[in-house]
Amino acid sequence: MSAYNRNTLIVGVAVALAVGGIVSYFASDKPDGLEKTQEDLAAAEPAHKGLDAPPVAFEQYTLKWLGEGFWGNAAAGAVGSMLVMGLLLGLGRLVRRKPAQAGAPESPADAT
Amino acid sequence: MHIASGFLSPPVWGTMAAVSGAALAGSLAVAGQRLDERKVPLMGVMGAFVFAAQMVNFPVLPGTSGHLGGGFMLGILLGAPLGIIVMASILVVQSLVFQDGGIEALGANIFCMGVIPCLLGAAIRRLWVRRNVRVLADVVTVVGGVVGVLAGATVVILLLSWSGSLPGSVSLVQALGVMNLVHLFIGIVEGLVSVAVIRFVVTMRREAVFGPLAAAAPQEATP
Repeated sequence: MSAYNRNTLIVGVAVALAVGGIVSYFASDKPDGLEKTQEDLAAAEPAHKGLDAPPVAFEQYTLKWLGEGFWGNAAAGAVGSMLVMGLLLGLGRLVRRKPAQAGAPESPADAT
Repeated sequence: MHIASGFLSPPVWGTMAAVSGAALAGSLAVAGQRLDERKVPLMGVMGAFVFAAQMVNFPVLPGTSGHLGGGFMLGILLGAPLGIIVMASILVVQSLVFQDGGIEALGANIFCMGVIPCLLGAAIRRLWVRRNVRVLADVVTVVGGVVGVLAGATVVILLLSWSGSLPGSVSLVQALGVMNLVHLFIGIVEGLVSVAVIRFVVTMRREAVFGPLAAAAPQEATP
């Protein structure tokens, strides 16, 4: 990996971990704009059968066995942001590989 | 602004899943054709950052908070296809791991917080890169951020209304008014934060942000 790309990753991961792991601990716990609107309009009860993921390791944005508090929140921020990044780097690798396999650089294999 | 589970009716969430699924498939196809290797790490860390930033709820009106959407700045920094892919990844992780947003509502949430603001951001990116129009770039960014948030908020209310999830005593106009008023303030923060993040990322990583698109600007004809 080039130094350029490595530095992009290092700085980006540092910023994401600082924001998701530390700054987010000081976030407001008031309902967000949509939740408040639904409360104000008295439409808070779901009318349909929905599908929420079961809280396996995380209860909202808290790692369950660390509980609500700084570390539970920090773990959620770190794991969540790194999961997103891992998913995207994997996807990026996957879609980038396709054209390389479709044809060698010299032979125009596309007959479209 | 994540729609929770149980608020959308099956026809509505099914339609939105199809629409966002098509947008995502198209985005992946386009990304596969032209994806600069410097863009991949940038896309990864921007996804991590926007996920983290969405955890930071800031107070807006009494008893109300808001958080960043991020789709708009992703549209500007990465273009629409990559922006949509990043927002979809964030929303999938939020829904599956953190119970934020219903799983059946994923299509709707990707549309309102991903497709809409990403397309808007990408339109501004196009002005900057292909037409080299950069008049009042920061002002345009703030206004675009606000418009992106309000457009998403409006569609959320329309989807809830079509799903019968607004009480009968509330008119659609009234619901749109309440929702848009709150999100006007959230949108202003979104716009201001977008300016700061875009300035930082463009300063640090201009080639990764604009390089390939600027190079391919005149036409994309290949032999």
